[in-house]
Amino acid sequence: MTIGDVRILIVFCLLLAGCEQAPSKHTAPKARKVTSSVAKINNDRNDPEWLSSYGFFKGDMAALDPNTNVYSYAVNTPLFSNYAKKERFIYLPEGKKINFKATGPLDFESGTVLIKNFLYPQDESNPESEQRIIETRLLINENGAWKPLNYTWNEAQTDAQLNYVGKTEAVQWKNKQGETKEVNYVVPNINQCKNCHSVDNTISPIGVTAAQLNQRYRAVKEEINQLDYFKEIGRLTQFTNASDYDPMPVWNDILTGSLENRAKAYLDANCAHCHSAQGSAKNSGLYLEYHQRDNRARGVFKPPIAAGKGSGDFQYDIVPGKPEESIFIYRVGSVDPAIRMPELGRSIVHKEGLALLTQYIKELRLDDASGAE
Amino acid sequence: MKKTLLFLAFILIITIGYLSIPTTLPTHAPTRDYLDMEAELVEQFILAKDSSTIELPAGHFLFSQSLSLDNKTNLTIKGQGMDKTVLSFKGQTSGAEGIKITNSKNIVLEDFTIEDAAGDNLKISETATVTMRRLRSAWTGQVSEENGAYALYPVLSTNVLIEECEVIGSSDAGIYVGQSDGVIIRNNKAFFNVAGIESENSVNVEIYGNEAYENTSGLLIFNLPGLTMYGGNVVAYENKIYDNNLPNFAVKGSIVSAVPQGTGMIVMATKDVDIHNNQISNHTTTNLSVVSYELFALERNGDASETALSEEAEAQGLRAIDTEYTKDKAYNPYPGRVTIRDNSFANNSFLPTFSNDFGKLWLVKNGATIPDIAYDGMIDPSGALQDDQHKLCIQNNGGAHFVYLDAANNFEGFTNDLTPFNCTL
Repeated sequence: MTIGDVRILIVFCLLLAGCEQAPSKHTAPKARKVTSSVAKINNDRNDPEWLSSYGFFKGDMAALDPNTNVYSYAVNTPLFSNYAKKERFIYLPEGKKINFKATGPLDFESGTVLIKNFLYPQDESNPESEQRIIETRLLINENGAWKPLNYTWNEAQTDAQLNYVGKTEAVQWKNKQGETKEVNYVVPNINQCKNCHSVDNTISPIGVTAAQLNQRYRAVKEEINQLDYFKEIGRLTQFTNASDYDPMPVWNDILTGSLENRAKAYLDANCAHCHSAQGSAKNSGLYLEYHQRDNRARGVFKPPIAAGKGSGDFQYDIVPGKPEESIFIYRVGSVDPAIRMPELGRSIVHKEGLALLTQYIKELRLDDASGAE
Repeated sequence: MKKTLLFLAFILIITIGYLSIPTTLPTHAPTRDYLDMEAELVEQFILAKDSSTIELPAGHFLFSQSLSLDNKTNLTIKGQGMDKTVLSFKGQTSGAEGIKITNSKNIVLEDFTIEDAAGDNLKISETATVTMRRLRSAWTGQVSEENGAYALYPVLSTNVLIEECEVIGSSDAGIYVGQSDGVIIRNNKAFFNVAGIESENSVNVEIYGNEAYENTSGLLIFNLPGLTMYGGNVVAYENKIYDNNLPNFAVKGSIVSAVPQGTGMIVMATKDVDIHNNQISNHTTTNLSVVSYELFALERNGDASETALSEEAEAQGLRAIDTEYTKDKAYNPYPGRVTIRDNSFANNSFLPTFSNDFGKLWLVKNGATIPDIAYDGMIDPSGALQDDQHKLCIQNNGGAHFVYLDAANNFEGFTNDLTPFNCTL
């Protein structure tokens, strides 16, 4: 036989082999979970391994009952995080204070820790139902610089362990309408914190602004304002009183603002950490801070810059009166990672938020689309 | 009469054989038993300190995300051997690369396998002094356009050493060095790729002791327009380049999609190239070609609708064929000062392939003989054949079969005469 004949034979064999059913190239195979038998690399970060070692909470840790110098707080309009409930606390070391700032995050001193717990009640309509805490994120102020750390809770809900690499957890709960919801909750890795918590490339808190904290202090006593309370206990300086400042509207409370202003509050909380002149989406030219008054920067008749397939073949971010032709609605209503907005922290649609934005754009008229704060 | 019939039957069988080759692609199917140690291993990458070693254990580890390192100095990533430590990115849901290293200095990667990333298996960008040693970088299963583009991909880097590695199944180039200065590619093996080894827009490059076989094309020395730097000063010696006749399975519109199957080695638009003491054999188009970028652009121009590269492909770093290259004034699309000496050529192919215009050209113009060395003869209109800028010297390559195409003049001056090229540089 010649070499050519041998080849033909080989080709024939390959042809036969090629007929076997092959699984798709881009399907992940199964893998057995193993733990490392090699010594972990020595890291000199010295970050505490367990959340309990900070002593933020007393008694049963999962009850999130704050210890001395740990203060609960809430914000008017939060970021949507796959329907997770959030319990927020500030740890202020003995003698340390918060310096008031009318705009942007308040000014915190070294040693301050911002603590945010992400959890799901089993049944949202039953306040007594069991809840599952997934993760606790810390922003630690070390001599003026903020360090992010993340702790993920154990199955028994007795403590949370340091996690640098993130993880995915399947979560199921019953919402207020009695529907069973489920989501693959993604805990971010430590490099991803900076994607949102970044102002001019420096790590920064986002939600602890005067406008966001300006509300009744439900966790402590209904009749006092959060900011006034911190002043009263001597922890907030350079501050007159809460009634001198405008609160951020609560996105889903019609008593706190007009439709337009509540939509703007929602966009501020969900988009403006990137969509501002100092944020990571500054190249887009779309700026969605609450006080942004430039209509075009807010998206009105603004064509996309680098949206790629995210534009969905629509021309403008917002077409007043036509949510169905607005890129905003297309992207906020999508779960495709290449299309959806926000990009991180959301893998399912926030139906109520989408409804708010849809109504806002439907009722928006170009002549009254400015300065209606 | 009987003899004639037998002969016809023989031809028929050969033809069927040839026709069937383009429809089949080989398979690389190692046995795998995947383990999930993602959290620990990702952690090692995220927290890696300067001047340390990431020691990878033995096992086949599956990842859903890229492993990335940025701004590191003096870091070694070491496995237990390419048959023992396997990092697989099959089905990854986050990131396009397997391993991505950026803005770093003095990096060594050795003794492990990287497999099945969505995009490139290993990409190293803007890094000074990097060594890849005894790595196997592969896509598994039957080779296809769905495979990632580059197996080992240092780009915009300096002092790059790639040695004793294996690259398998890349839908673009296996070992692909782009826009880099000071490169050694030695003693590697490349098979089942579109291009086995490619040096692109890189300077001061040595390529020796490598084996490239069963790719679409074995070794490419390319210089393309519109990039941050231009290539030149490349030496290739003691390489074994054979049987590179795989059908081209590159993404349409990418530069390597224009590489004809059955090409051993191509020098395109590069100056100061020395090719000596290589063994180049058994290619159905040409063993060694020296061509201008113009020829490539012409080849594709007739088919303009197919040249557009998708946005996603460009975002992945694939190079499209730029038919407006004349706008890049700093770019010279012609090869020059190329030496081909002391190489050995052979061919066991009975007929040239008919899957591309060159194969057909050999049939019409060259008595169906596949050339060992082909030169398109396209030069700068202001220059002359064999002037200082465009000199091509071919000496002492045994009985190598040569063709001068005269491609600029519709092959009018097509000849096998080597006399004008008997020179030294």
